[in-house]
Amino acid sequence: MTKRIFRAICVPAMVVLVASIVLIMGFLYEYFNSIRKSELKTELFLTAQAVEFGGINYLENLDIDNCRITWIDVKGNVIFDNRTDNNNTENHLEREEVKTAMKDGYGESERYSSTLTEKTIYCAKKLSDNSVIRVSVSQSTILTILLGMIHPITVVLIISLIISFILASRLSKRIIQPLNNIDLDNPLENDTYEELSELLSRIASQQKQIANQKSELLQKKNEFQAITSNMNEGLILLDKNKKIISFNPSAKAFLIADTQCIGKHFIELERNADILRALQMSEKNNSSELQIERNSRTVQVNISCIKNNNKILGFVILIFDITEKVGAERSRREFTANVSHELKTPLQSIMGSAELIESGIVKQADIPEFIGKIRKESARLVVLIDDIIRLSRLDEGTTLPKQKFDLYELASECISRLKIFSEEKNIILNLHGKPTEICSVRPLVSEIIYNLVDNAIRYNNKNGCVDVTILENKIVVKDTGIGIPKEHQERVFERFYRVDKSHSRQTGGTGLGLSIVKHAVEDIGAKITLTSNVNKGTEITVIF
Amino acid sequence: MRNRFDSQLETLNNMMIEMGSMCEEIISLTAKALQSGDIALAQRIPKLENNIDHMERDIETLCLRVLLQQQPVAKDLRQVSAALKMITDMERIGDQASDIAECIKYVMDKSEEDCKYINLMAEAVIKMVTDSIDAYVRKDVQIAHSAILYDNIVDDYFLKVKKTIIGLIENKHSDGEYLLDLLMIAKYFERIGDHAVNVAEWVEFSVTGKHKGENK
Repeated sequence: MTKRIFRAICVPAMVVLVASIVLIMGFLYEYFNSIRKSELKTELFLTAQAVEFGGINYLENLDIDNCRITWIDVKGNVIFDNRTDNNNTENHLEREEVKTAMKDGYGESERYSSTLTEKTIYCAKKLSDNSVIRVSVSQSTILTILLGMIHPITVVLIISLIISFILASRLSKRIIQPLNNIDLDNPLENDTYEELSELLSRIASQQKQIANQKSELLQKKNEFQAITSNMNEGLILLDKNKKIISFNPSAKAFLIADTQCIGKHFIELERNADILRALQMSEKNNSSELQIERNSRTVQVNISCIKNNNKILGFVILIFDITEKVGAERSRREFTANVSHELKTPLQSIMGSAELIESGIVKQADIPEFIGKIRKESARLVVLIDDIIRLSRLDEGTTLPKQKFDLYELASECISRLKIFSEEKNIILNLHGKPTEICSVRPLVSEIIYNLVDNAIRYNNKNGCVDVTILENKIVVKDTGIGIPKEHQERVFERFYRVDKSHSRQTGGTGLGLSIVKHAVEDIGAKITLTSNVNKGTEITVIF
Repeated sequence: MRNRFDSQLETLNNMMIEMGSMCEEIISLTAKALQSGDIALAQRIPKLENNIDHMERDIETLCLRVLLQQQPVAKDLRQVSAALKMITDMERIGDQASDIAECIKYVMDKSEEDCKYINLMAEAVIKMVTDSIDAYVRKDVQIAHSAILYDNIVDDYFLKVKKTIIGLIENKHSDGEYLLDLLMIAKYFERIGDHAVNVAEWVEFSVTGKHKGENK
């Protein structure tokens, strides 16, 4: 800026300086030149007059130094010259001023010396005897004068340069200061040059635009973060060099990472060889997935490679916890296997007996026994299918209406239904407590008590006893049976789960009793607890 | 030029981690194959070992190229020279793991009791290898130290395995080859532990400039 202003000041100053020097010099030179000429003319006339009277003597006695006087005769020979010797000068007839003087009586001319540093002015006049008297004077040329003035001119030039520099720097400072003071954050509130108003308003509008876009981006980022941070699945974004761009909290837990990890290579956080291989594979196949076990959970990892025109832009890694899914899948498979097994066993037995009777292998006397077996197995099958139907009804989740009823009365009803069964095994059934009214779903509670007591009798020892106690809002069923080992306690509520893996039919249970109880308990919003000691007995409490 | 150098160092770092991950994989696979007596699993191991050998070659080439072309100094020089030393140890880990895999088929009918300490030892060694690689990844001297100290536990287990085998010999165990193979497996694990210690020591060197706690 300073440089530019300096140039803008300096160049015109120089131009003006040079122009004025040229003009003044030219004008003055012309003026002095004309004065000089008229003076010379006067001198010539005076000299001519004197020579007419005094002849050569006058000239010889004349002591003038600042001008040259030459007397030339008609033939052009020099009669007298006060500067040079007569014999050495050539014929002057061809000189311009002499020629004109010979013709018109007066002539003048100017000649430059060979070096151009001097100019000589000549004036000539014809005397009465036709000879010519000439006076000449030499004068410095304009160039010599200028050369002589070079020192003062240089000084003036330097001074003008200094002044223009000082002026330029001050000016630029003064011009720039308001520009520097512009508050670019609030461009419209500035009081500065009018010429800048358009620029400032443009900046203002652009700033507004940027702010809008920024807030939009921020909003989008927040949205993205809100979505990703609340999802259960882990999400990791990698760039094309497999460096981490972002990850959500679930992924953070998976990777054991912290926020400093952004920008690091993926391999620094996760070096499971299978995942790295899958990542490598995804480059070729666009996506890959694998399941790995980590921290005793099963995790599915889906990797997609994002490509544009076959150029890799980045990777997206999604991490799902599929432990429950895998578990559910396993129990479904187990259930199907169990149910088919449980249904097939009695049918096999029925079919076998029937075949034996049909082929006549069985003696007539034994037939009732075989038929009894068929009936017993069929009854078992009916009980089993009944249980499954009941369970699937519970699975459907139809809500039954709640009502008030007496728990004690219901318990005694269930016990009386199981009386025959208990007497078969010689087990004493006791009911403690007093009539208590509760509000619940009667059929389900009946189901719970029936199944619990049924189990208590079924898995009891000979001559054991079952105590059913009704308390304020709970019912406790305690037996003196074989008990449930610790490691099985959690699983006894699963369908068809048996502590006795041999699936022995000694006890005759279906394996669905506790499963129905659990389901019913969940449906009515109650709680069930189980404490058991092997060979001492089991105590199950249901809290309504 | 500097940019290229930085990217070369980064590549070196990533390759080192990848090789570390390969070591972790091979040793955990070996332990799994040994525990379950799964021959199919054991047969995968030589291929992994081969991959580790290739990786060692690649890293070595890269290290030498960096040394020749970039003349690294200070920390960068330590990183490169430590890497050169570490890959030798990591390659040995791969070798030992594959040696164990070879023994697996001779100890197929091992009893739970005989292998109790070998399995524990395998777990301890896996932890050591994981720790020393972790120390490298995070450039964490603390983890490196814990990996180095963990070697004592592995050595203890080795002594216990030896005692168990001596006990078996005293009880006139009939299959001598089986006992020797057990001892060999335990020895290989013990060696892997030592290599993991070496790796951890070189991690310490690349971070602090001091090898094996020297006071210079």
